[in-house]
Amino acid sequence: MHRVSKLSFPLRPAFFLLAPLAIALLAACTPDNKQSTFGTAGPIAKDQADLFIFIFWIAAVVFVMVEAAIIYIAIRYRRRSDSDKLPHQTHGNDRLEITWTIIPVLILAAIAVPTLISIWEQQNHVPQDQGEVLNVEAIGHQWWFEFRYPDQEVIVSNELHIPVGRPVAFKLESQDVIHSFWVPKIAGKVDMVPLNDNYMWMIGDEVGEYYGQCAEFCGIAHAHMRFRVFVHEEEEFQAWLKGMHTAPDAPAAGSPEESGKNLFAANCSSCHTVDSTAPGSYAREVSAQQARWNGWISDIENSGIVSAPNLTHFGTHSTIGAGLKDLNQKTLEEWITDPSSIKIGTRMQKHAAVYDTPDKTAKLSPSEVSDIAAYLLSLKPGSTPAGETASSVGGDADGESLFVTNCASCHSTGDDTIVGPGLAGVADRAGSRVAGQDSDSYLKESITNSGAFVVDGFAPVMPGFSHLGTDSIDALVTYLKTLD
Amino acid sequence: MTTKALTFPRIFPRPKATTGIWSWIGTVDHKRIGTLYGITSFIWFIVGGIEAIAIRAQLATPENDLIGPEMYNQLFTMHGTTMVFLVIMPLSAAFFNWLIPLQIGARDVAFPRLNALSFWIFLFGSLIINFSWLTGDAPNGGWFGYAPNSGITFNPGLGMTYWIVGLNVLGVASIAAGLNFIVTILNMRAPGMDMFKLPIFTWMTLVTSVLIVLALPILAVAGIQLQTDRIYGTHFFNSLGGGDPVMWQHIFWLFGHPEVYILILPAMGIVSEVLPTFARKPLFGYGFVVFAGIVIGFMGWFVWSHHMFTVGLGPAANTAFSVSTMLIAVPTGVKIFNWLGTLWGGSIRFNTPMLFSVSFIAMFTIGGLSGVIHASPPTDAQQQDTYFVVAHFHYVLVGGALLGIFSGIYFWWPKMTGYFLNEKLGIANWLLMMIGFNLQFAPMHWLGMDGMPRRIYTYAENMGWETSNAAASAGGIILGIGVLIFMINVWYSMRNKVEAGDDPWDGRTLEWSTSSPPPPHDFDEIPQVKYRDDFWFRKYPETISEYYHDHNEHDQAVPSGAQNDLEEENLPVVSGGSDDGHGGIHLPDMSYYPFILGVGVAGIGAGFLSNNAVLFVGVGILVWGMLGWSMEPVNDPEPEHD
Amino acid sequence: MTQAVAIDHHEPIENTSTGLNSRKLMMWAFLGSDVMFFGAFIATYLVYRGKSLVGPYPSEILDIPLTTLSTFVLLMSSLAMVLALHYVKDGERNKGTLWILAVVVLGAIFMGFQFYEFREFGHLGLTPRTNIFGTTFFILTGIHGAHVTIGIIWMGFMAYSSHKGALRPDNALDLEIAGLYWHFVDIVWIVIFTVIYLISANDGPPPGMESMITH
Repeated sequence: MHRVSKLSFPLRPAFFLLAPLAIALLAACTPDNKQSTFGTAGPIAKDQADLFIFIFWIAAVVFVMVEAAIIYIAIRYRRRSDSDKLPHQTHGNDRLEITWTIIPVLILAAIAVPTLISIWEQQNHVPQDQGEVLNVEAIGHQWWFEFRYPDQEVIVSNELHIPVGRPVAFKLESQDVIHSFWVPKIAGKVDMVPLNDNYMWMIGDEVGEYYGQCAEFCGIAHAHMRFRVFVHEEEEFQAWLKGMHTAPDAPAAGSPEESGKNLFAANCSSCHTVDSTAPGSYAREVSAQQARWNGWISDIENSGIVSAPNLTHFGTHSTIGAGLKDLNQKTLEEWITDPSSIKIGTRMQKHAAVYDTPDKTAKLSPSEVSDIAAYLLSLKPGSTPAGETASSVGGDADGESLFVTNCASCHSTGDDTIVGPGLAGVADRAGSRVAGQDSDSYLKESITNSGAFVVDGFAPVMPGFSHLGTDSIDALVTYLKTLD
Repeated sequence: MTTKALTFPRIFPRPKATTGIWSWIGTVDHKRIGTLYGITSFIWFIVGGIEAIAIRAQLATPENDLIGPEMYNQLFTMHGTTMVFLVIMPLSAAFFNWLIPLQIGARDVAFPRLNALSFWIFLFGSLIINFSWLTGDAPNGGWFGYAPNSGITFNPGLGMTYWIVGLNVLGVASIAAGLNFIVTILNMRAPGMDMFKLPIFTWMTLVTSVLIVLALPILAVAGIQLQTDRIYGTHFFNSLGGGDPVMWQHIFWLFGHPEVYILILPAMGIVSEVLPTFARKPLFGYGFVVFAGIVIGFMGWFVWSHHMFTVGLGPAANTAFSVSTMLIAVPTGVKIFNWLGTLWGGSIRFNTPMLFSVSFIAMFTIGGLSGVIHASPPTDAQQQDTYFVVAHFHYVLVGGALLGIFSGIYFWWPKMTGYFLNEKLGIANWLLMMIGFNLQFAPMHWLGMDGMPRRIYTYAENMGWETSNAAASAGGIILGIGVLIFMINVWYSMRNKVEAGDDPWDGRTLEWSTSSPPPPHDFDEIPQVKYRDDFWFRKYPETISEYYHDHNEHDQAVPSGAQNDLEEENLPVVSGGSDDGHGGIHLPDMSYYPFILGVGVAGIGAGFLSNNAVLFVGVGILVWGMLGWSMEPVNDPEPEHD
Repeated sequence: MTQAVAIDHHEPIENTSTGLNSRKLMMWAFLGSDVMFFGAFIATYLVYRGKSLVGPYPSEILDIPLTTLSTFVLLMSSLAMVLALHYVKDGERNKGTLWILAVVVLGAIFMGFQFYEFREFGHLGLTPRTNIFGTTFFILTGIHGAHVTIGIIWMGFMAYSSHKGALRPDNALDLEIAGLYWHFVDIVWIVIFTVIYLISANDGPPPGMESMITH
């Protein structure tokens, strides 16, 4: 009857399956790994890990029972010879069927109860009884994170600072595609979805540095979209906040930092803000970031401008490239020279005019790169008390240096278009554009309220510069009128 | 012949060849079409496997720069798309085609030409989507195509257009095949075979076909909406214009979750055939297994948002979908327990098909249990979009669907070809696949728990992920060698033929009652069915009373009714009462119109990717095919001398 | 020689397992599939109802009386369909042909209404790109229009077939199956008419829109 030789492989198939699993399970206890979901440092992650372990053990019991049954059956009921008698042709057993329908239902109910409790504890509202809630807006960009503290008016990129033991309430947003905000050791992820603001909260239980990473596929640099979370003691956190409102000291005349500052102003400052310490600068940066986004989205191929990380007090950061590498002079120089050597796909390298070279490396000499790096590393809270903006605008306003610092990355002094129009002969044009308005007032209004007059063919992306102050703006206008 | 029918002028004579390429292009034989499906999708399986190995090569070491992010994103997008749409679905379709008519005692499917059309459209759709590799612009937005990342703003270029057009073409093929099998199973059963005597594989095919017919249109809608967004600037998923990216996820997963059951139910059906055969016992609790399959197919529609637990739908939605997801584990568990019940007390012979099927239970259980773990939204918050999920669904789709399919290949190969596959190579194949598979995917569980996100092309050195990734990559190679052994086995077994005979495994269902390979007309005589596992009880009539306690009653009740009297007319395409030639068996004549219609559909797809001229040519060919098809009789009037 | 007419074209007695004709069964299954197709589009419309960021809004643009008229025309085509089938089954070839032609004409008039409506909306500044209402409205009604167009072509073919004497009482099933499709497309329109024209007729800008517009 059976033409196949009885090749009864003396098998315990499940044994082969279980061996690697068992070894693997033993190796799995790695709470020290930086993004391990075990060894947690916050109540949400702890709840999630506890729930996981609870379900895991139930699953493990079911798993062992099923696999043991397979092994037992395979040994006990294997055919020993072709003359084995035909087994009873059983139909089934209704009582057994009902049993093994009901038991799983009960097991699942046991899993569902703590699950539902956790859902409503974690997702419903921020706890109000565990200290003052810190509000943070976390925004996903391709491919970096922006953190805004609306109540403290602080903006920081890729490195989140929170106080220990206090609830932090997040509003999660995205400007472009879907990202996911995830700090495995403190809380499970919640997605950042454009047009759909999400809310979550977390508490950091232990002081320390934690790793975070974008978990939703978001394009070419998804693998390189990471961030860090620093959980501070309360005083330390307050000190950090204060520092974020303290301007850096002005670089010494003739120092590499000063040269770097000018180079930065000329090449980087249209996208990267470095002065979000001053009063009013928070709102300005929020609108500037929106303007950069609008500029990019309205002309994706040719835009010279794009949303970019705020670099205020960049010298205090510990990483570059969205949590990719330790920050130091060397890595920073590498980054500035050729971002793709660290992170492929950055918008900066694609859009910034300074990378408009055949091999897409920066149009800067090694010493210029070094100066910019030195300048950025020098950006730290200075000795000037918070609230005073001593560094940015000097008393005797020099129109040309103001132009280099504030305008030159988008406007040339000739006829070339960078992002905005070239400004050669702007005095003549300014006087004729609006009937009844002279060039002085036209230029002033353009600078302070940039949306007022947008030249045809250009996107309304220029941020307002009213923060420069009347003297500086007068000096700037005077300088502009000398261009021809 | 007095009646008048419209005719359409032929450009080519109706194909008659029985060998050579034209015999395949013109074929309407379900067995040949099944073979075409099998070969085509196995080729795509190799392509998808190479993509997988490339992915594992890139991830073998941290900070690897073997494959850049552009290429990597294309690789994982195409790997997922290929394995789901071009491998597991059509491999299942190969089994549907080969087996359904044989299992229900029919001579072909209900619509043989439509069946051929399904294959050709599938073939051209798969070529369209893979053609993108040659342009260097393969789809790169993930097999899930999340908007807005898949939209024109963030994903210019033709890659995602290839994906959408390809999937929509494939969707047409799947829906046509699904409709065909629904009607075939409902309408073409042998006399006496009522629904609860259907072989379990046929039942699972019916549930799968219903899911295909209802779910694939939703994917088509998603594709159309995304495509109009990309090409015509509509706002379905464009957040800048008021569209909602979450809407894409709802629509995609409303298709996508039934799709998961479309992938796994056929394999469950195969396993449910293999286990009883090799245990020499009937399937334990047939009715419950059927019912569990139907319940899974039904509940599969109410769990889609468990793919979206971290999207921010709120605690109420997460609660509802968490509970519904956990509930769907119950019928799945019922199936597993019934399989164990089938084996219990059996006389089990471990030939290769059985090794694969038993491993299916073992591996699928792991995938099911990890599924329960992330049915809980709080734990899923840590696991979503990590390698834990990758591990989970590979245990379901490789440890489940693919092992089931391999089991089916070894099981039915003798029926399809008349010869065995080599048993020693088969065991080597099984062993290497099992070791490789577990080595590859088990470590991914704790990669996920250790916080490694999915879809990253590289990772840092200091994360503690090196060992697991290296192990997974090594496992991938071993799994690949296992598949290679399978190919060697096929080659070896075709050279060193070992005749299998008609019923090599002491089978239970009707396909084993005909010759191996079956004749073109499947059965010399259409079987009269009395029992579930009719063929078994015909061989072992003494066991009938063990299975049917009310044996006598059944004996009288079945077969009954007019169906029995009309047996001759019940043949698929028999012409009334003809007595000429070969015993009244008229198979449908060959036709090239399915191929032409397929070319037309492909041309329309290509038109969306190139220009309107191609589109119009495609429409022209389509119209030609439709007119010719609709006016072509299934059987030409036979000349007198035949 | 018996009539070697294919099962596809001629089936006096249904000897299938269920007793239902296979082609008819498949048409029903296909319509089930099509329900999901339209269902997904209609669901999209409903989800996006009232979410347009800019006008024109439904309340400013929909012409209910006109569309009621076109809906009436389409409903009448279903009536013609029923009569056509009746006469074809009775073997009244000329009447059958005429009523099938009536279906074609009424369907074409409905499409004319749709064409006019689309053009008017275009003049009033509503295109698929204008806002989310335009997007969902045009794609949903356009997809329906495509279904009607296919039906018209199919019915045209049937009319020709009937005129030539190839559509007879014994294969009236061909027409019956086409009729199933036609009635289905008709019913879908009633749903669309209800959802878009009746329920959304008064939809204006969504609440809180003003602030977003200035933004």
